[in-house]
Amino acid sequence: MSFGRCFLKLPYFTNMFIVQVGALLIALTYYTNAQTSVVAVNTTIPGSEQSASGLRQLAVAVVPQSSVFHPSLRSQFSLNLLSAFPEDLEVSNYCVELLAIFGQRYSTYVNCLVSAARPVKVCQNCYGTYGNLMEIYKNISDQMGPGNVSCRDSLLRSDRLMLVFLLYSNLEDIWTASECNRCVSLRHYSLTNDTLYFMETLNQSLSCFEKYQKGNHSELCTECKATYRGLNELYSRMEKNHTLCIDIEDSMNMTRILWSKDFNCSFPRAETVPVIAVSSFMLFLPIIFYLSSFLHSEQKKRKLIHPKRAKSNPSFINIQDKFS
Amino acid sequence: MHPSLLQDSVRGCPKEIPHNEKLLSLKYESLDYDNSENQLFLEEERRMSFLGFKCLEISRWVICGLIGFLTGLIACCIDIAVENLAGVKYYVVKQNIEKFTEVGGLSISLILWAVLNSAFVMLGAVIVAFFEPGAAGSGIPQIKCYLNGVKIPRVVRLKTLVVKVCGVICSVAGGLAVGKEGPMIHSGAVVAAGVSQGRSTSLKKDFKIFEYFRRDTEKRDFVSAGAAAGVSAAFGAPVGGVLFSLEEGASFWNQMLTWRIFFASMISTFTLNFFLSIYNNKPGDLSSPGLINFGRFESDVSVCLLLSSPKPCGLLGALFNILNYWLTIFRIRYVHRPCLQVMEAMLVAAVTATVSFAMIYFSNDCQPLGPDQSEDYPLQLFCADGEYNSMATAFFNTPERSVRSLFHNPPGRLFYNPLTLSLFTLTYFFLACWTYGLTVSAGVFIPSLLIGAHRTLARLVSIMFVCRSLSQVWAVPGKYAFNGSCRGIVRMTLSLTVIMVEATGNVTYGLPIMLVLLTAKIVGDYFVEGLYDIHIKLQSVPFLHLEAPATSHWLTAREVMGAPVTCFNRIEKVGTIVDVLSNTSTNHNLGKICGLILRSQLIVLLKHKVRELARSRLTQRKLQLKDFRDAYPRFPPIQSIHVSQDERECMMDLTEFMNPTPYTVPQETSLPRVFKLFRALGLRHLVVVDSENRVVGLVTRKDLARYHLGKHGLEEMQLAQT
Repeated sequence: MSFGRCFLKLPYFTNMFIVQVGALLIALTYYTNAQTSVVAVNTTIPGSEQSASGLRQLAVAVVPQSSVFHPSLRSQFSLNLLSAFPEDLEVSNYCVELLAIFGQRYSTYVNCLVSAARPVKVCQNCYGTYGNLMEIYKNISDQMGPGNVSCRDSLLRSDRLMLVFLLYSNLEDIWTASECNRCVSLRHYSLTNDTLYFMETLNQSLSCFEKYQKGNHSELCTECKATYRGLNELYSRMEKNHTLCIDIEDSMNMTRILWSKDFNCSFPRAETVPVIAVSSFMLFLPIIFYLSSFLHSEQKKRKLIHPKRAKSNPSFINIQDKFS
Repeated sequence: MHPSLLQDSVRGCPKEIPHNEKLLSLKYESLDYDNSENQLFLEEERRMSFLGFKCLEISRWVICGLIGFLTGLIACCIDIAVENLAGVKYYVVKQNIEKFTEVGGLSISLILWAVLNSAFVMLGAVIVAFFEPGAAGSGIPQIKCYLNGVKIPRVVRLKTLVVKVCGVICSVAGGLAVGKEGPMIHSGAVVAAGVSQGRSTSLKKDFKIFEYFRRDTEKRDFVSAGAAAGVSAAFGAPVGGVLFSLEEGASFWNQMLTWRIFFASMISTFTLNFFLSIYNNKPGDLSSPGLINFGRFESDVSVCLLLSSPKPCGLLGALFNILNYWLTIFRIRYVHRPCLQVMEAMLVAAVTATVSFAMIYFSNDCQPLGPDQSEDYPLQLFCADGEYNSMATAFFNTPERSVRSLFHNPPGRLFYNPLTLSLFTLTYFFLACWTYGLTVSAGVFIPSLLIGAHRTLARLVSIMFVCRSLSQVWAVPGKYAFNGSCRGIVRMTLSLTVIMVEATGNVTYGLPIMLVLLTAKIVGDYFVEGLYDIHIKLQSVPFLHLEAPATSHWLTAREVMGAPVTCFNRIEKVGTIVDVLSNTSTNHNLGKICGLILRSQLIVLLKHKVRELARSRLTQRKLQLKDFRDAYPRFPPIQSIHVSQDERECMMDLTEFMNPTPYTVPQETSLPRVFKLFRALGLRHLVVVDSENRVVGLVTRKDLARYHLGKHGLEEMQLAQT
């Protein structure tokens, strides 16, 4: 699988931008589709045919207006005939089923992602749906179906667009970018212990904030300092161990903003006077140094040497004469 | 009062004056690039087979490869050492600051920082001031002089190299506002001079190889290759390195030499790249061709900025140079004792730390931490959690890293605040100006980069961000053109343009960079000379510029030359020679009309003859060119040779040792003509003869270098003992 993936992925790095925009659009349409007809997607063959016929209607709507395509009016008929390819080119039923399940799980995951966008909870909320999606994609790309049918060639790489692959790789990129792997062990379908522990500590801090929020903020600063610092330390430990995912980063960011900006608990600039005193002392030192070396150090003198010159031609006088 | 009048009035008694720029020091001699074609030389050439010449050519290539390799290795060592030392220092200070931000007592962190800085710098300054003063400064002026043909004492010794490398590590790790490019070029040159000789006099080790290359002409070629390798390791700019050497020594050039130099440059940048990528655990990545790394720039060319940057940069550079000029004069006059120099360097380091700390302390500019941890030592201080003080990125860092973060942090994050930028620039400007010229080994390129870059940036930041990196690239050479301005406008801008283009990896900006360089150079030249030129002058070096002063055609060789010349007979008494040599310590000696012989040659002759005589006349071995080479480059003083009364009466035949065909000019030749001949051929002596071919005088480098164009027309510098 990995070889095939790598091989396929390469050309797409070049126009990544287009791909991403495309994927976004696709994801959006899926999202709206899923909203309206979650149940109907179950059986995809009629669905796909429906969209195919819709396309054809569109073609009909466009074609008559252009005179160039006039002869092709007849081809509408032949297009209908072509709806069934010869046996060996047709996608097997097994694969069609897989594709249907893929679509369903895809829309569920995207749905989940969107709803967990702000505040970011994409890892903790959607790891299950992502696992499902991954599984079905693995089935498509790896496994042999009944009668040694492989859907990899027929679904993933039989056309230029390679839509299924494209769709999946985009979601995979999102997953990688959010570093969810660090918080979630997909094998066990659960959050890691570190993550759970962090959430717990975070909740402690937040509840402490809530408790003292009403009154004076300085009280909050002193009372919640211990839990907040514990949280900070845990966070930096996790940062060192590379066990941070976007969920944790985001929640920590929000907590820090709360702490420093909303409650104003950062350190105050309290030692201006000593710092200025020490600095001016330091700045004063070179002045003393230069003054003392100017006054006490003897000035370096250079002994002049008179070069041997031809006596008949006193060159110095020459210069003087010619320039004065 | 005009100096020449002064001199006339007090002729006879030695006079002492304070040091100034219009002096020529006696301690500098000329290198001899002219081959002495005496009989020994001809004999050797005759003995040498065709194969021998081929071997020489091959060994030249081998040496160049070695030079490149070693230079790259040294650059690599410097980089790694600086990174680790500075890393330890900043880690300690950062821990301390974090601790005291909470409990109070930040002034202690300030003192800790200052003390750490001073300690590093003290180490660097002590080794330079007490062991090898020649390693002070950036080294580029010295190499320029060497390639120009001035023999600067001790400039290409092994000891100098060691002190230079350790010194630059200390001074960069000590947080001074310096770079490590200039020292790199110097190191390359020393490596070249050492490797090409196949021995080390300091270590008393002679490998008995490359003996053919033991003379000024050959050594000089290799030194220029070494300087090129240094440039190429420093900036990752091999072609720029070749052009740098070309500019400095273009008068003695041939195509094969260019090829060899290019080879050395390429090897050097590749070696650095290779070892650094191994060090960074990315073997085969090869992403750091130079010590400074601008990375790649990708943005549109926007012409709006083109015209705005050079002029102010030129003015700024002029101010820098003038300030530094006065400071250097003061230093030479009053801060000349080694312990004072060490103290001064330590003070500068402490003040640098103090100023940086104060800037960071009072800065209100906070930026959120990046996702990729691009800040090496983020300081939070009074910022909100998850943010860091953006002034600290500039100051709490080695200068090189500040440059990198300046170029590479995405727009809108670092250095967003124009106030932060302008403050940083202003402080850094004065710090860099104060630092350059200290008795530590350090370069000026990176500081000028920071100043130039920041200044323009500060002005442009409100205009647009896309142009940001561009404007820096443009501004930078503008500033540097100034500091590094060498001789002709076109020539130095050529190598700088290429260096910048190569360092930024972007050919597209070639034209803008060149235009900016030209403008800045013209603006700057209007006010003051380049920084390196100023320092060369202040060192009283007899430096021969590209051309003789413009209004000097009326001066003839008769007025320029030194006279009378010491003459010997073809066959001379040993006693006479010894007496003459003992009396004059400066002048060189001349065979009457028929040839020229050097003091060093005479000394070697005396030494060997004396030894031979002591043994037996019968087994007398013939003196070969090899004996002269073995003594090169440290010829013993005449005092070390003892000649007995008996030997004084012997006669010595100088015929086969002297150069039978020295260059001569008639005494009516004009100064520019003499100058051209002298410079183009790399001469050390030029004999002046009268119409009957009798020797009347001798023109040396100091006789030519003393004329310069001043405010009152042509002025003459004075010779002085330094």
